[in-house]
Amino acid sequence: MSLTEQKIGRALVVGAGVGGIRAALDLAQSGYRVTLIEKEAHTGGILAKLDRQFPTDRCGMCKMLPTIKRDAVSQHCLRRGLFHENIEIITGASLLALEGTPGNFSARIQENPRWVDADLCTGCGLCEQVCPVEIKNPFNQHMGLCKAIHLPTPHSIPNSYVIDTTACTRCGECEKVCPTGAIRISWQDRERFRVLVVDDELIVRSSLEAWLSKEAGFSADTAGSGEEALELLGTNSYQVMFLDIKMPGMDGMEVLEKAKGISPDTAVVMMTAYATVETAVEAMKIGALDYLVKPFDAESVLPKVNSIYEALQLSTARKLDVGAVVLCGGVSYFDPSTGKDTFCYGASKNVVTSLEFERMLSSCGPFEGKLLRPDNLKPVQKVAFIQCVGSRDIGLNADFCSSACCAFAVKEARLAVEQSNSQVEAAIFYMDMRAYQKPLESYCQDAREQYGVRFVKSRVHSVIADKDNNCILRYPSPQDGSMQEESFDMVVLAVGQRPAKASRELADMLELPVNEFGFIKTLPFSCCETEKPGIFAGGSFTGLKDINESLICAGAAAQGASLALHGAGGSLAPVAKAIRPDPELLRALPSVFIALCTCNNKLGRVEDEKALADKLKYQPCVKKVHAFERLCTSSGFDELVEAVKKSGANRLLVGTCLPHLHESRIIELARTLKVDRACVEVTDIFAPANRDGQQGEPKGLSGSSEVLSILLSGIARLKRVRPHPLPTIPVTQQALIIGGGIAGITAALAIADQGFEVELVEKGQRLGGNLSWIKRTIEGLETAPLLEETLGRLEKHPLITLHTQAGVLATTGSIGSFESRVATNNGEHTIAHGVCILATGADEAPVKGFGYGLAESVMTQKEWESALEKNSQEASNLESIVFIQCAGCRSEERNYCARVCCATTLKQALYIKVQNPSSAVFVLYRDMMAYGQMESYYTQARRMGVIFIPYKKDCPPSVEKKDEGLFVTAFDPILQKDLCISADRVILAAGLAPELPEDLAAGLGIQIDEHGFFKEAQFKWQPVESATSGFFACGAVLGPRNISESIASAKAAASRALALLTKESITGGRISASVRPSLCSLCERCIEACPYGARTLDTENEKILVNPALCQGCGSCVTACPNGASVLEGFLREQMLETIDAAFA
Amino acid sequence: MESQQENRQDFEPFIVAFVCNWCTYTAADLAGTSRLQIPKNVHLIRVMCTGMVDSQYIIKALLEGADGVLVSGCHPGDCHYINGNFKARRRMKLLQAMLATMGIEPQRLRLTWIGASDGIQFAKTMRELVEQVRQLGPNPGAARSVA
Repeated sequence: MSLTEQKIGRALVVGAGVGGIRAALDLAQSGYRVTLIEKEAHTGGILAKLDRQFPTDRCGMCKMLPTIKRDAVSQHCLRRGLFHENIEIITGASLLALEGTPGNFSARIQENPRWVDADLCTGCGLCEQVCPVEIKNPFNQHMGLCKAIHLPTPHSIPNSYVIDTTACTRCGECEKVCPTGAIRISWQDRERFRVLVVDDELIVRSSLEAWLSKEAGFSADTAGSGEEALELLGTNSYQVMFLDIKMPGMDGMEVLEKAKGISPDTAVVMMTAYATVETAVEAMKIGALDYLVKPFDAESVLPKVNSIYEALQLSTARKLDVGAVVLCGGVSYFDPSTGKDTFCYGASKNVVTSLEFERMLSSCGPFEGKLLRPDNLKPVQKVAFIQCVGSRDIGLNADFCSSACCAFAVKEARLAVEQSNSQVEAAIFYMDMRAYQKPLESYCQDAREQYGVRFVKSRVHSVIADKDNNCILRYPSPQDGSMQEESFDMVVLAVGQRPAKASRELADMLELPVNEFGFIKTLPFSCCETEKPGIFAGGSFTGLKDINESLICAGAAAQGASLALHGAGGSLAPVAKAIRPDPELLRALPSVFIALCTCNNKLGRVEDEKALADKLKYQPCVKKVHAFERLCTSSGFDELVEAVKKSGANRLLVGTCLPHLHESRIIELARTLKVDRACVEVTDIFAPANRDGQQGEPKGLSGSSEVLSILLSGIARLKRVRPHPLPTIPVTQQALIIGGGIAGITAALAIADQGFEVELVEKGQRLGGNLSWIKRTIEGLETAPLLEETLGRLEKHPLITLHTQAGVLATTGSIGSFESRVATNNGEHTIAHGVCILATGADEAPVKGFGYGLAESVMTQKEWESALEKNSQEASNLESIVFIQCAGCRSEERNYCARVCCATTLKQALYIKVQNPSSAVFVLYRDMMAYGQMESYYTQARRMGVIFIPYKKDCPPSVEKKDEGLFVTAFDPILQKDLCISADRVILAAGLAPELPEDLAAGLGIQIDEHGFFKEAQFKWQPVESATSGFFACGAVLGPRNISESIASAKAAASRALALLTKESITGGRISASVRPSLCSLCERCIEACPYGARTLDTENEKILVNPALCQGCGSCVTACPNGASVLEGFLREQMLETIDAAFA
Repeated sequence: MESQQENRQDFEPFIVAFVCNWCTYTAADLAGTSRLQIPKNVHLIRVMCTGMVDSQYIIKALLEGADGVLVSGCHPGDCHYINGNFKARRRMKLLQAMLATMGIEPQRLRLTWIGASDGIQFAKTMRELVEQVRQLGPNPGAARSVA
């Protein structure tokens, strides 16, 4: 089979939130085709509404965009949207059905009816100005107003309007003003929609006819009997028939059967009395669409007809063959107005949810970023955050922790303080501050110390509004438990996560099991594999994750999907051959064709081209100025190609709206015209021409001086373009993995299964890492079978070479072609590899204090886990056990939460209680980090009688050894006195410390963070990558994590690595830097300036070299260079200077 | 004196703004699609990063007749290219000191951080800058031909 005949693997990603985008980008980068569908009209999901994220308190979403093969993907803010040559994005679409087997699924995708044609809408906004209907703004969580026809988000591209069909009165004003005819809600169309009403009762016939024709605008005919109806069906075509079941003569069922023969496309709605509902159901089995129970009114009939109308008129179901499916449907949030205890939500305007508060903080929010009280619009001075609303609540069937809300609240508190110049006082009321992610411990400390945020460990009893609408919080004092009242301007409720609405539907349709809370269930030890092979859950779809975890999970799901496609023989998308620049073109004088889109003569008329050409006559390189009515249509495109070919010009400048939108067309255009992509420049003339005309009629193309400036700068750029082949560097398609714990093993298998060679280096004698002592998880899963299975596969895998008792000494080279020296028992080897994955893991941290070393019965969790394993009687002989949490971490020395120890304590405490129910078990803790579904084990432990006593960091429990035995003294805040507990065992939660020696990191050339863990390029958006390209990490070396989380990160890291390994070579970006050696004085300032380490000094040839794979085209080197030797293609100094000249045109 | 005051009110300054591709350009676009009032006498030049804005570009713009120059990029810590905005900050600080020696008020050069969703902030900054430069009057350093 030749390459062209081979089936190209295609994956379907459902949901285009950040999880979906991550999964789609990973798959697309590995070379597969992706169809990304999204229910909403925009991509970005919930993140479209969140301007800033912890721990940076800024955005940084664009950091998700790949750094290699940049030209395949959009180079702009991700809030505007996404473009990738291998990704097809369909918004307003949902998955209807899925059939088949992994590798050969057939998906049916329903595109929702859209009243505004996205291809025609230019986002000019005239419709919004005339729309008389105001609705609550859905983008701002229903705060503030917008029109029924509105932009779904302020920044998205394509920037097409949407209509809220439930609010729209169909007045048709927008349709009249739309300059491109994009809106279709007209009555003319509705008149062509014919409805037949068949009933023997005149009153039914005439009232239905009146509603349908007068109120809804359809054409309605009536028939008094079945025979008459069939006759009419034979002569006219009807879209819908309302059919009575009980009629004299021919009854409804018979008419239905015959009608299906005469006019099979007519949708039939049965009308029935209550008594004959069963018949109506029968009728649906033989082809009726729906039924109505008499008596009915206009309100129940019209929506039904409208939905049939919309479905028939505008919707299309598409069939798509895909090899794998990734579900990234995200989550929804608890609606406090549905709960019993709502903290006054709904009753007081000043009580808002965390999402609403987020919109209030946003400068495109309802108050333009000013923090105002919603009731009187006065500045907020005091705001309270109440945690765990709809989470950790057994009454609401929410015995889980939503994991993200603690950090979310801290971020909002910090932002509120920052944005108000410290005028706002913020207090967070919490049960446990679950800041369990690596950077969050210090983030919360900063919030307390630098931002003055008050952390109150108390469950708020209630909120009441006083007569001035202030929110009065009643809560037990954390000091002594006495009831306090405190007044706040605003209250923010940290609403918990819930399964997405689509989640249940998808689960039903795909027959996927869900857990007791409705989240999709995954296989043991996996965050993303569902019970159905080939179907994966990514992002936060399985619930209770923050962004970091969601993206890791999305990456893992992409890896699963990629493997499913590979296994089914799906090949990679063919890479388009780069057009070799014509050497003639380099020598030829630039001759520019200027194509302007007038957007259906809206931006002036074709006559303008003469006026503009006149103004550009001092630019000798301008060959022709040509105005087109609509370049975005396919006929306009053909017209353009024809005109350019005829003119003989060698450069093309296109002036249009939204240049980012047309990226795929530009690539196609360059290919059709057989010119280098660099010779086609697209510039936005729409915005300035529109802006100029703000105070009246648009000035048109020739009237706007800004349009002229923009065209001149476009010409300036084009005439200096130097089309040149993009430099490529080869890729060694082989991976080096350091560390043979479960993460390293998983990553090795994931890469080797896709057909690439892996070298696995482990410093110890045996593989398995921490799995050697962790025997089972809190869920009761045995780890031995997991290890056995993976090790079995690893040892047999022909593509994996294992080096035990080995260590990496040093690595040279850069992304795509590294060489590492590895020391093993039998000498030194050199390994060539394209990427490196670090999985050196973490081990239990050393403990100081807490009586450790006083007696053998004071031990760490790891020691006790082994003791329990050795002696099964250990637990049953004990009467009193004390667990002390945070014994090694969350201290000055290790200022992070080790996050696994609370779960381990819960696991061990539950184990003792099961073995020996009469034993007394105490847990002394600071915050129980029972995040996600671990919460239910925390609840279970409390139910079984484990006693939890909180302690403060500055007042830790003390352990003493007396003659009678061990005693632990701790302060109990409920009893308000010191407790002295006699203990048979004291178990210390030591936490985890990274196993990443500094010399190894230095040898590899990667950074480590302040705690000694692997430093991610960006904690949130690049969670498994190093800032040094080509290095990835997984498992506990990234930061503390449990077994399934380690496995997920391993798959995510493998997925990122595969994006590179699947390529034989990497091509640099179009906009990238180079050096003119004749001007270079080798001062090396550029080497220092480059943030990516892309530049090196070649001492032999006395040259500065730029690695095209590393250079991202930021231009820092250009400004650092004192001689003008460093240049940035696309932004050459000559181009920039002339662009500045153009500003004064 | 009075007439000079009056002149300043009539004076329409011309501003050249170098905006970064990732944050401020998005904000400018957002301001446009949100139909916010942006002074017409602002000309945007898109650059990939504020770190690539050479002092030469700014001096050229001022000499050619711009009454004010804005350089605007991502917030600290937010730069798509890791630290380009910090480089810009260092450079602008130095350049402002130099402008004074050239007889150009340092206030004519401004560096701001405007994030992608701060369309309103963008419009506001533009209006403020125009007003500030209006108060300064025409750029004395401009080598413009007298009309």
